[in-house]
Parts: sequence; C-alpha cells; structure tokens
Amino acid sequence: MNSACLDALLSQVEKPARYTGGELNSIIKEDAFVKVALCFPDVYEIGMSHLGTRILYNVMNACEDALCERVYAPWPDMENALKQAGEPLFSLETKRPIASFDIVAFSLLYEMCYTNIFTVLELSGIPFYAKDRRESDPLVICGGPCACNPEPIAPFMDVVLLGDGEEMNPELLRVFAACKRNGCDKRDTLLALSKIEGVYIPSFYAPQYAENGDFIRLQSVEPQAPDRILRRVVRDLDAAPYIGKPIVPYLSIVHDRIAVELFRGCTRGCRFCQAGFIYRPVRERKRETLMQQAKDMVACTGYDEISLLSLSSGDYSDLHALVPEILDEFAPQRVSVSLPSLRIDSLLKNDLERMQAVRKAGLTLAPEAGTQRLRDVINKGVTEEDLIRSVTDAFEAGWNGVKLYFMIGLPTETEEDLLGIADLARKVSQAFYSIPKDRREKGLRLSVSASSFVPKPWTPFQWEPQDTKESIIKKQQFLRNALKGIRGVEFAYHAPNISVLEAVVARGDRRIADVLLQAYRNGARFDSWDEHFKLKAWEDAFAAYDIDPAYYANRRRDTEEPLPWDHIDMLVSKAYLKRERENAYAATVTRDCRKGCNGCMGERYADYCKI
Amino acid sequence: MRIIARFEKTESVRFVSHLDIQRLFQRAFRRAQIPLAYSQGFNPHPILSFATALSVGYTSEAEWLDVKLASDMDKDDFARRVNGTLPEGFRIIEVFSVDERFPSLSAIMAAADYTLQVFDPPADLAPRIETLLSAPIMVEKRTKGGMRTVDIRPMLYDYRYSNGFMRILGCLDAKGSLNIDLFMGALLKQDASAASYRVHRNRIFSNDGVLMPKMPERLS
Ligand code: SF4
Repeated sequence: MNSACLDALLSQVEKPARYTGGELNSIIKEDAFVKVALCFPDVYEIGMSHLGTRILYNVMNACEDALCERVYAPWPDMENALKQAGEPLFSLETKRPIASFDIVAFSLLYEMCYTNIFTVLELSGIPFYAKDRRESDPLVICGGPCACNPEPIAPFMDVVLLGDGEEMNPELLRVFAACKRNGCDKRDTLLALSKIEGVYIPSFYAPQYAENGDFIRLQSVEPQAPDRILRRVVRDLDAAPYIGKPIVPYLSIVHDRIAVELFRGCTRGCRFCQAGFIYRPVRERKRETLMQQAKDMVACTGYDEISLLSLSSGDYSDLHALVPEILDEFAPQRVSVSLPSLRIDSLLKNDLERMQAVRKAGLTLAPEAGTQRLRDVINKGVTEEDLIRSVTDAFEAGWNGVKLYFMIGLPTETEEDLLGIADLARKVSQAFYSIPKDRREKGLRLSVSASSFVPKPWTPFQWEPQDTKESIIKKQQFLRNALKGIRGVEFAYHAPNISVLEAVVARGDRRIADVLLQAYRNGARFDSWDEHFKLKAWEDAFAAYDIDPAYYANRRRDTEEPLPWDHIDMLVSKAYLKRERENAYAATVTRDCRKGCNGCMGERYADYCKI
Repeated sequence: MRIIARFEKTESVRFVSHLDIQRLFQRAFRRAQIPLAYSQGFNPHPILSFATALSVGYTSEAEWLDVKLASDMDKDDFARRVNGTLPEGFRIIEVFSVDERFPSLSAIMAAADYTLQVFDPPADLAPRIETLLSAPIMVEKRTKGGMRTVDIRPMLYDYRYSNGFMRILGCLDAKGSLNIDLFMGALLKQDASAASYRVHRNRIFSNDGVLMPKMPERLS
C-alpha cells in the first residue's frame, strides 16, 4: 500500500498504532519464498497479548526461506475506512495486502472470534469457502485450541493444525515450499501436507447426517486421507523454541509484560476445563532455562514485569526454588514478578510478601463452585479451608483486593450450590474483618464473578446440556439476592447470550459454518465484546438456515452418539472422558496425576506422558 | 543527576501517543541500563517528565524530556546508549546535564515553531489566512468544565505561507498553547480533515534562551 493512501486511512481511525507495526523487535524480511500472514482475529491489543501466536511468529520467521507478518482484525472504524477507500487489508510489517501471501494462518483461541475471520478474508478479497478459492488464492489455515472441534469452521479452511505448532509449523512451511517449488496444484499440496502429523484437511472428508438430522460420521472422500488425525505434541518443551525477542508494542496491550511459560498442560483434571484435557501431558521447562529466558527477555525489551505463565503455575515442580531466584535476580532492576493462578501455601508465604514489595496486584482465586459436593463433581480440588487460609494469609500480608471466580449452570447444580457461593463470599469477608484493624488494609474489595458454564468438547462434560438462557438469568438474580448485605462484595456477571452461542459453536458440526457466515453478513463482529455483540444478527442467521441452537446447546447427548469431533485424536481417550463423567456424577474426586497416573490416554500413547 | 534531552519523533512513529512515549522511554532506559532514580512511596516510579505532549499524527524534532538518574554518567554516553536501543523513529539529538534546582521544562517553555504542509490547498488560502487573522478566531474548545468558546487569535504570534507550506509561531507555555488543529479547522472549515495537512514541530522556545532557543519576535 502506498504511503499517501495509508496516511489517509490511518488519520480516520482510533488508535492508528494498531496498524502501523514498526515496534521494537518486530521482524521485517524484505522477501522470502514462502510468505505467511499470521492473524489473530481480534483487535491488536488482544491479539498481541497471546503468547502462542507470538511464539509461532518467532518460529516461522526463523525458517530460512519463509517470512511471517502479523495482521489483526481491523476495528470497525478501520473496516469501514478500508471499504470506503476500496483498499485491501494489509500486514503490519510491510503493509503487503493479505491476499499476496502464500498462507493466511489464523490463531483460534475462542469461538466468539470466528466472525472476525470473515472480515479479514473479505477485506482481502479471498473467498470465504475453501471450495470457492482459486489456485491463485492463499492457503487459508488455522490452529489453536478451537481446532479440537474444527467442524464449524472446517468449510472455510484449507488446512487445520492440531496441537503444538513449534515443530509442526516449520514442517508445514518446508513441505509447502517444496510443493511450491515443484509447481504443485492445490490438491497435491494438500495431499502432501496431510502426511504431516497434526494436519487435518477438511475437504478430504464429508459429513453424513441421518434423516432426522443427527450427525452420523465424517466420511473420507480422499483415499489417502487418514481416518483419524492425531494432535501434534512437542515432547521436549525445554528444548523447544520460545517467544525469543518479544515485540514491544507502543500501544498498551492487555498482557503488557514478559511471559515466561513454566510448563504446558495441566494435571489437575478439572472436569469443565478444556485446556486441562487438550494440552496433556504436562511438560515442564527447567528452572535454568526459564531463568535464562527471563533474563534475555528483560534485556531485549526493557519490560518491568514478568509473569510466570502456565495453566496452573503454582503446580510447577521447581516453584519453591524458582520464585526466590527470579525475585532475587530482578528486584534490583525493579522488575516485578507475578504468578497468575496463585496457590498460596506456607512455603510461598515469604515470597508472596516480596512479590508485593515490588508491586501490588490483586489476588485471584477460582473455587468455581459454592459447595464441596459440586467442587467434587467438577474435580476442583479446593476446600473451603484452603481458600479461607489462603485469603487470610494474603490479607495479613497486606492484600485487600480479592477476586473469586465461580461458574453457574454446572452439571448437577442445585439451589444449595448457589447459596454456597454466597456463603463462601461471606466467610472471606469475615476473614478480612476479623483481622485487627492495625494488621490489615482499610476496606475489603471482594469481587465475586459468576460466568455461565459452557460444555466443551474433549471434557467429561462434553455430553452435558447447557442451562437455558432463562434458567441462567434466574440463577444470576437468585445469586445477586443471596450476596446482598455481605460487606465489601461486588457481584459481576454477564448477559448469558454470548455463552449460549459459545455452547452452540463449540460443539457444532459443519452445518454451523453457514450460520457463522450469515451472522457475519448480518453484521456480527467482535462477538466476544459485549458492546459489539448483536443478538439479532445471530438469531436471524439461525432462522435463515432453520437451525435450532437448543439442539446443539441444551440437549443432553448420549455417550454413544457420534460426535462431530470424533475424527480428531487429542490423545485423551473417550473411554477416559466417560469414566470421568461417571466419577463426576458420583462426586468422586480423581487425583492430580502428578500423584499417580489415571490412564487418560490409555495404552496407545503411554510413551507420551513422562510424569 | 538530572538530564534534559531533546529528541525527535519522525514519520514512522507519528501515531504513537504521548502516553505510549512515556512507557517507551522507561523501557528504553531499562534496556540501555540507565540508572534511573525512583520516586519514594507506595508505588515507586521513575522520575521522568516531558515538556509537553505532541498531538498524535504530528512529527517533531523538538520533544523534550527531563529524567533523574540515581548515579552520575557521562551525558554523551547517555545519548549513545539510549539511541542504541530506541525504536526506529525516535532519536535523542542533544543532552544537557542540569542542576536539581533548574526549573521544569514546562515552566521555561514559551512558544513553538511549526511547519505545516497543506495538501491540495485552496487557491485562495493566502488571503483566507489574512482575513482569518484580522479578527478574533472563536473556536469551540473542550475544557474541564465542558465545551467553551475561546479566541485563539492572541496565541498565534506569527506565520508565513507559500505554496502549501505554512510556518506558525504559536504560544506554548504552562498556561496554554495554540492548538494547531483548532486553528486549521477554523481556516479550512469543511475542507479540513486530519488527512488534509501535516504538522511538524521545529523548535520549542524559552523566554530567556537557556537550554531552548530564545523566543524570536517574528519568524525568520
Ligand atoms: S497419562 Fe496419566 S499422568 Fe499423563 S496426563 Fe494422563 S492421567 Fe495424567
């Protein structure tokens, strides 16, 4: 894009720095044989906060004959400006039009970003459906956790990548480069790519439905296509490439700090949590590796905050050595260290005070459910005693802000469980105010947040119905009343529309694809943003295709029913998920698998897990 | 040790906002291992301030910052190290080491000199400027107490215009400053849009000529 034209566009939009690139440590290669546009389909400040995409940026740019440039979903003001000017969407690094790349790769972290995919494609002049794309169009690919049920977006994707990208993406680029060099057409290229572990080619399969509309199976229509696609796993995370020299944005982004990834995967097995199942097994980085990465990243970014990131950072096996070491290293430079998903135990207490000495952050705890019974159902191994002790420790160490996260609409939930949430909040409040005034901060800020449960594929709750919208609203009101009068409490909850939709799309089949596109055409954009969410656009889209959202969201599925993601193999076996479902109904807790293997992968992948 | 530095902000980073620039220098100082002094108190922060904010979209070779160091260092070394790590588009041009008692930048600045490039200027722009300047220029201005109508004419000290290029000498001190965008709005009326002209700050003047050049009577 020429600079006059870019100027005109940028002067019309809010936060032009979303589109200008040029940040410290961004990578500009003039040209390369294979060009990849890497897109996180949300606004810059969110997309730039996602560690995984940024690792892939680094990894793909490290490939010799490839370059990788960033693009984010344009905010509606930029979308309009581009449309009015008749200009195509461009990359941040070199302002190349997206259609001029060989590959457009989407990172899909949550379902509610799907409509933004269409904005990016439309503004690039790339046909939405893979079947409509010409030989000259880029290959449109995607990856990320949403790929564990890729069917609702499968018709739009030439390639879907399952699992870790650190090794898979470079391999994909190598194979793609070879195909390009040999002048392969799209079909031959896809065939070659399908041989890579973790690669799924949606067009090689077609769905079959029963007469009553039920999904039966995905039938391969390409003789060479594998029956099941196995997720790709980086076995040795310690040796795997990381984010490298992180880009330092000009704009303030959501996670504006250095992220050090302690480990991938999680051993806790919370039954509602998709991440807990689809990233197994746990793979840790060594403390020395993490220290080195932290030092290198502080030196090349100048950030003053490091976050120790993982699904459950408190479980890192070398935590008690790592935390003091990293604090000692960075305190003189006034770089603070934060540990999200903090689990406070006595050994950490001293370090906790030091973490605060550098900077004070709020304490966040996620009991998720209000009673021990329901916490056992969901396998959230937190007891009331743990929780009260944790917050009391924190209050005595000078904290006065606590966030408690809960879910409503969990399987087997009753009124008693909702009352339990209020009860827990009351006890936390009492724990604060029972500390003598001179030994605590003045006022308590206790935020109780209740999200609605969304059943997700690859969890033991994947067959569960979601609460209806009406029921969620009722429960929210009930809970609000129950929380009244508790000192220091603030109640936060969301309109249930978005989570209802999320439930449809998360467990949808290929028929949902048309609905997604129709919703986009009806004006849906940035659906995860409350202020952008357009319920009507979605309702009309479902109506247009005569699809009942309740069929996907609110129906209890039989465990023998074929699931749209049955052709995907995320390592964890269906048998295990069924077993965990039984355990949930029996309120039987399953141990943390650091304490002993629970056999989640069966015999097949025994060598994957080194715990 | 207290350091005052003049830096430039060029084309490629003209959309970086003032708030972002503060953060950017803090990070650059850390990368350059500049020994920053920190404020006392609950939430210590570097003692860093700027003369004035530059509007988003403008370029400048007259941005000024004032920073306190915890230990002494050679001022040229300071410039070299910071310039070695600033993102492209920012560069420190000159550095002064000043006394603790030296007044703040916002206290000494008095006026600024801008160059504007007007794209596709109307043929009668020169007489239009004359007419506009011959009377009070009343504009709507956002203030703390809501929108107010003010006369910005007294804040425009001098100008030159030829062939789409305009120079403006305007007030810039702690009490107020000439808002170029409001002036251009009054001048171009419906033709005005953010894309119809570009602004570059050439200099900031002080009253007495210490550090910053002395404010001239007229543009040269
Ligand atoms: S294989 Fe065993 S130890 Fe490994 S993640 Fe599964 S249950 Fe846990």
